[in-house]
Amino acid sequence: MNTYSDQLASKEELRRISRARRRAQFMRRLPGDIVKLAIVILFVFPFYWMISTAFKSYIESIQTPPTLWPHTFTLENFSAIGEMNIDLPMYFKNSVIITATTIVLQLLIMIPAAYAFAKRDFPFKGVLFGVVLLAFMIPGQLTYISIYLMMAKAKLLQTLWPQILPFGANAFGIFMLRQSFKQIPEEILESARLDSASEFQIIMRIMLPMSKSAMITIAMFSFISIWNNYFWPLVMTTNEAVRPLTMAIQKLRDSGDNAIRWNVLMAGNVILVAPVLVIYMFASKKILKAFAYNGLK
Amino acid sequence: MGEIVFHQVEKSFGSNKVIENLDLTIRDGTFTVLVGASGCGKTTLLRMIAGIGPATSGQVLMDGKDITDLEPGKRDVAMVFQNYAIYPTMTVRENIEFGLKNKHIPKEVRDKRIQEVCASVGLTEYLDRKPNTLSGGQRQRIALARAMVKEPKVFLMDEPLSNLDAKLRVQMRVELIHLHKQLKTTFVYVTHDQVEAMSMADDIVIMDKGKILQQGTPEQIYHDPNNTYIAQFIGSPAMNVLPLDAENRFGFRPEAVQLTREKVDGARYCRKGVIQVREMLGSETLYQVAFADGQTVSVKMLNDQYRSGDHVVLNVGDNQLYFFDRDGQRIRRAAVGDAQYAALLQTAGGMSDV
Repeated sequence: MNTYSDQLASKEELRRISRARRRAQFMRRLPGDIVKLAIVILFVFPFYWMISTAFKSYIESIQTPPTLWPHTFTLENFSAIGEMNIDLPMYFKNSVIITATTIVLQLLIMIPAAYAFAKRDFPFKGVLFGVVLLAFMIPGQLTYISIYLMMAKAKLLQTLWPQILPFGANAFGIFMLRQSFKQIPEEILESARLDSASEFQIIMRIMLPMSKSAMITIAMFSFISIWNNYFWPLVMTTNEAVRPLTMAIQKLRDSGDNAIRWNVLMAGNVILVAPVLVIYMFASKKILKAFAYNGLK
Repeated sequence: MGEIVFHQVEKSFGSNKVIENLDLTIRDGTFTVLVGASGCGKTTLLRMIAGIGPATSGQVLMDGKDITDLEPGKRDVAMVFQNYAIYPTMTVRENIEFGLKNKHIPKEVRDKRIQEVCASVGLTEYLDRKPNTLSGGQRQRIALARAMVKEPKVFLMDEPLSNLDAKLRVQMRVELIHLHKQLKTTFVYVTHDQVEAMSMADDIVIMDKGKILQQGTPEQIYHDPNNTYIAQFIGSPAMNVLPLDAENRFGFRPEAVQLTREKVDGARYCRKGVIQVREMLGSETLYQVAFADGQTVSVKMLNDQYRSGDHVVLNVGDNQLYFFDRDGQRIRRAAVGDAQYAALLQTAGGMSDV
């Protein structure tokens, strides 16, 4: 018999206590949850608005008060894009080539650079890493004129290269992959060296698989920023044949007689971001993990 | 074969010299344990043999061949790291196979070796699992299997048992001794744990501050230590070391003491004392005994007949007494001669108060 047995609650009481505890916990969390919900709405609403407008008729899209969802659901906007004199497949193809080539180029440069910064010692390492971070912080608006002149001199303006080469070195990617590489214990690399692995094998077979999350995040970010890039092709290209999808969408806005056809423009935007959304859906778990892991979340 | 010779080896990290002019021979086929407190340079020596932390100057020879600057992958060595250093994205089989693949060993040979090794360490059923689904002990076995499968001339182990719980550690200790008996290759084992050193080694190398203090069998090290550092490092509890006269000190092991109610005939050093602390460990009992002058000594007894506060007499015989000079170096009978040694014994006996 316990000394304090008269203090012990009955089963009924215990159940009541745990119910009360759950309620108290819920109330404690409520304010935080409300703030989170507000932030989610803030981010998701523009997206929702784009999608819902894409399925509205022109009249409904400019109606006041605006409708929250399409009252008359229509696919006309998409067929309207098709009927316009815009060679969408060509723009799409350009976008794919630019994005894919840039990402491949970035990987080729980023992986050895990140490895060197994370695991090797060489003269001026600190200064050089500073240069990388500097590149990370300088916006394209500062550099585009000189790059444009360079490309003109190199006679590359009529090709896709001006949209690929300037993004070959991904400073953010080098930084992030270096962080990920740095977390790999030295013993694992030493162990691999004792296992007769070459430095190339160590990177490919051990370090990259261990940095999968970081790699996916970096590739995802690159993909989004290159795919959605509007400013750069706008200032770098003069020829429709080398322009990407973002430039084509811009044309949709001006396609009306004298008013902006928001519904058609939004339909175009849906086409533009669809690939991004699809990829994000497949990779979202990995991306969240990489962010949590790198302390960026 | 797997004999390792260090010749005038030095190692510095920046301006910090951690090892200076070191000579050491690790005999072929021995289980050699490098032991010392952390920072004594034992891991540095091991890394020189592995080739992952080359010597700043001097030579490291393996079977007479200079390997000082040879790439780690080209040496005939395998290493087990303290944290196992298992490749987390590979399965157990891929982990074990990695080194063999890099050396272009044919698949049939690889498969056969992996099967044999995994059977002997008990990993067969886990070959296709990822390491993070296995326990600490099993990961330890992966690291061991990965080393064994390479059939190296020399096994290097850097505190491989320190991440295991006490029970598993004792079990793995026995398995490693057994493994060494089977393979008959050279084992070089680094630890800070004197119990591991004593239990496993054929040959113990005790290091402190980058220098080798003594090399010898566990029996030699225990019964004939070179100085107070070794005398107090090996054995648990540590040897009692007390001042003898203005110059010298003397010592005796806690387990070499007879605790009695009355003075024992023939004992040289006999002191009255009071039991301050008693720790009953099952098979043995540890006592802290305080003398009238405030000094305390440790005593280890197989029987458990005293309690805290009991008045006892502590007796130590001639053969159990060790003498050290002012620098802590051992004074041996052979070195100083019978007469002078007898005088030391006389002085110790003169301190008796029973």
